[in-house]
Amino acid sequence: MSGARAAQRAASIAAALLASLLLLFLLAPLAGLVAAGGAGGASQLFTDAELRGSLALTALTATAATALGILGGTPLAWLLERRRFPGRSLVMALVDLPLVVPHPVAGIALLLVLGRGSAAGGALLALGLRVVGTPLGIVAAMCFVSAPLYVSAAREAFGRVDPRFEAVARTLGDTPWRAFRRVTLPLALRGLIAAAIVMWARAVSEFGAIVILAYNPKVASVLSYDRFTSFGLSEALPVAAILALLALVPLVALRALRPERGAEA
Amino acid sequence: MIAASGLGARVGAFALADVTFTVPRGGYGVVIGPAGSGKTTLLETIAGIVPQTAGTLTLDGRAAAGLAPEQRGLGIVYQRGLLFPHLTVEGNVMYGAADASFARMVADRLGALALFGRRVRGLSGGERALAALARALAPRPSILLLDEPFGALDPRRRARVRREVRALHRELGITVLQVTHDFTEAGLLGDVAILLDGGRVLQSGEPGAVFRAPASPYIAEFLGAENVLAGEVRVLGDAAPDVMPGEPSTTAGGHRAIEFRTGALTIHTVGDAQAGDGHAVIRAEEVLLSTSEGTSSARNRFEGTIAEIATLGALTRVVVDVRGTPLVAALTTRSARELALAEGQRVWASFKAMAVHLC
Repeated sequence: MSGARAAQRAASIAAALLASLLLLFLLAPLAGLVAAGGAGGASQLFTDAELRGSLALTALTATAATALGILGGTPLAWLLERRRFPGRSLVMALVDLPLVVPHPVAGIALLLVLGRGSAAGGALLALGLRVVGTPLGIVAAMCFVSAPLYVSAAREAFGRVDPRFEAVARTLGDTPWRAFRRVTLPLALRGLIAAAIVMWARAVSEFGAIVILAYNPKVASVLSYDRFTSFGLSEALPVAAILALLALVPLVALRALRPERGAEA
Repeated sequence: MIAASGLGARVGAFALADVTFTVPRGGYGVVIGPAGSGKTTLLETIAGIVPQTAGTLTLDGRAAAGLAPEQRGLGIVYQRGLLFPHLTVEGNVMYGAADASFARMVADRLGALALFGRRVRGLSGGERALAALARALAPRPSILLLDEPFGALDPRRRARVRREVRALHRELGITVLQVTHDFTEAGLLGDVAILLDGGRVLQSGEPGAVFRAPASPYIAEFLGAENVLAGEVRVLGDAAPDVMPGEPSTTAGGHRAIEFRTGALTIHTVGDAQAGDGHAVIRAEEVLLSTSEGTSSARNRFEGTIAEIATLGALTRVVVDVRGTPLVAALTTRSARELALAEGQRVWASFKAMAVHLC
């Protein structure tokens, strides 16, 4: 009995050691970055107009991309979660595809579809909308790589709402849309907000696809890369540190969201 | 009115098939069946939540096929209440109500009015059941589907709410179809009992008739009959059997005298059963015990030894070994004490010919 307890204790210690090593590996670079460039970055926020403009552009384009993700992703997530239809598995796989494609490859693919030589790009140009090298391109790249995260998390949010709530609402006189609006949506709302935060955070941190589609105007990730390649580590550090600190904001927001009310019913 | 004929539905691998029954307008139907028999699926099919795949379903004279749940004029109460957790109890009860004063009256009668300001999260299971019942009744449905709605209520409140639901059903002329595991509840509430197993209706009819005359030994056992004996049916023809005075004529109504042999026992009964293999069902409460041979009008009388005595509150269940065949008798604990019954004691078990049902 004591042998078994000793083995269990040894296993716990080994697990704690391995977990600590991983935690250290994950935290040390970011902590080092913030320690080295945090103060400089904070002061640079007041003096560096390009940095401020880049951060504002990043926030705006990420917000626009997230809005598009919510607009299309919410009904898609609901359909995938609630309805069984031919090709559903294929659609789910296709939605997840951008998550596994290397992001520069995603950028190249978007360039092919939305570039001026393509049918879609040409049509957009005719409407006065240029994608490549504009904020629109940044939004497209951000949306492409981060919307699958929204769809996946929104599906989970809908999945936590018992479909019988909708059924009961229907027997109480609601049409499908009214039942969705009055019951499913409020119950899934926290999960959907969390999904949107995850998408927004992913969009903010995107680099690979954006750099292909719209190197300029520079979002924060491109700016930090640009300063690193043009001026070296010391110039890139403050920008990188600010980005690392800003990444904490959505994480804190996510933790602040309580569990789904629908899951408690 | 709920009329199902050959009704079929499918949920995943489970299929509801060939379900046929009728609950008349303003009637109270009770669906009984083991877990997984399709009781909830049946209610959801009637509600239009699960699509109907076969047969016909008529609700208050209207063909239900093609009608959305909100067009069927019915309410449903699930086992766990399924109150909307983002609303208060009042928000739930008023959700589908067209007439707020009526909704308040129903909530008051069910005891849910006092809960109006409460949030769903803090409610007990019983309180949720009350609120769910009020929510389903508030829009004045013509049909009410209840999936074991009284299970979470304590016994005292259960009896009161059951009475109130029965009263509302009568006053409002609502047709009710209720799922229950409780045979007493089925007998108390139901005008029509529907026995469901494996997605099929085994038997349906007036609850008393279903309990007295189960269509198969499986149904008999499911309905709690403790003496279900396999054996051979022998029809003695129209010849007057040896039935004691006080019992009905053995040839009346086409009944014939029948002998049923099981193990070393020969049981006398009357009925329309065909000769051959069959089962005899004798409810434990029909079996009388005495400690002396004596005489009585009961045609079936066997001497045996008490094998087991189990007391459950006011009721005592006694197993008598009659030449290798166990016969279960149910009597009051007081009677058992007065008879001073003990395991190993010799007793006489008796029951009337009419207490035997053959299937």
